[in-house]
Amino acid sequence: MPEMTEEQRRVLEEKLKNMSPEELAKLQKQQCIFCQIISRKIPTKKIFEDEKCLAILDINPAAKGHLLLIPKEHYAIMPQVPEELLNHLTTISKKLSQILLRALKVSGTNIFIANGPAAGQRAQHFLVHIIPRKELDKIMDWDEKLITKEYQHQIGSLVESKLYLLMGLDALKREPTLSVTPEDELPTETPVKQPESDKENSTHKTAKKRKFKHESDKDHNTKKDNDTEREIKKESKRSDVSLDDIANLFK
Amino acid sequence: MKCDYCELIEAEKNAEIIYQDNDIAIVVKDTALTPGQITIFPKKHYTIMENAPEEIIQKCMRLANKVSVAIFESLATNGTNIVIQNGLGGGQKVPHFCIEIYPRQENDGLPLQWTSKKLDDVDLETTFNIIKEELAKEEKEEKHKEDLKLQVEKALKEDKQPNQKTEQQKIENYLVKSIKRMP
Repeated sequence: MPEMTEEQRRVLEEKLKNMSPEELAKLQKQQCIFCQIISRKIPTKKIFEDEKCLAILDINPAAKGHLLLIPKEHYAIMPQVPEELLNHLTTISKKLSQILLRALKVSGTNIFIANGPAAGQRAQHFLVHIIPRKELDKIMDWDEKLITKEYQHQIGSLVESKLYLLMGLDALKREPTLSVTPEDELPTETPVKQPESDKENSTHKTAKKRKFKHESDKDHNTKKDNDTEREIKKESKRSDVSLDDIANLFK
Repeated sequence: MKCDYCELIEAEKNAEIIYQDNDIAIVVKDTALTPGQITIFPKKHYTIMENAPEEIIQKCMRLANKVSVAIFESLATNGTNIVIQNGLGGGQKVPHFCIEIYPRQENDGLPLQWTSKKLDDVDLETTFNIIKEELAKEEKEEKHKEDLKLQVEKALKEDKQPNQKTEQQKIENYLVKSIKRMP
């Protein structure tokens, strides 16, 4: 795409501002390459199609037989996808993975979903990659590093409080078989359901409270722990990015 | 020998369990590619995805979506990857089906990105044909299975119906007889 001049950009921004949400959605669809593939404006190698989704061969694949499974309805990011459709996509992914295993005689597959440009999502249309894999193909391989127990615990409590909110669960109602540490049972530390606007702040507060508690409980804090604490703090500060921001990054 | 994940649930060893219900556990393992990595797996032992029942995989995926959002919001990442490493060739390390969620930052340099290959048209065409063929075979098999199922069901129905009829006849006969016997 040719570079826009300052003037052109301003005009475009003004135009975008005045558009209704419906018009914006329509424009996005028109510009979305995968919507054009689905409406057959762009020719592709179609492997599978049903009323909800379409699977095609990736033309710039990681390996021979790399498939893209695309929902026909336009969703920019995964959290927007309704559960029912996600279930359907999962089923089809499994089916296609099986087909790849048999057809290409490979020893494995990767089901890969990228959420956000930082994770490698290239187009503003949610899709699932199904990649045939062989040992030593060097497509995506890595070794995992050991992480400290303290760090594990911090990550756990940070993600947990948010996850329980999302699932509409109360963290206190964990099953007794769980590894409930005494500090987790303190009522002050449980995330309480808050009105929509307070949600974000409250979780951060809860997270910080947990962290504080964690620090004071431990007599010894090695240097490594301090480093991880600082890292988490740094991360918490930047945590104002909402899902819509992630979706908007594409524009 | 027990598998690492089965042991992990039973002994609660080496991992922080965030959530669990009857089917599924969500944990922070003691090893990770990047800090903040979360693992979701079914409690029952299924070696690869192909072994696991559909509902379980679907539930894992729905939860993966939720965990992904939770990671977005609590760890302030710019994105996440949801990955199923299926089979040895797929990089699966523990023989227990799982979904991993990796938090991502801009330019974090994690090996979660592949270099795209350019395939020529012939290669693309042959791959396409091979996969299509396999899919056609699979669909034929599925249809065959369904047909068989229908046939069996039909046969069972037919088997039952005459029995019901004779029973009904018997009852009718009995009724008729009893009526006849009445003065």
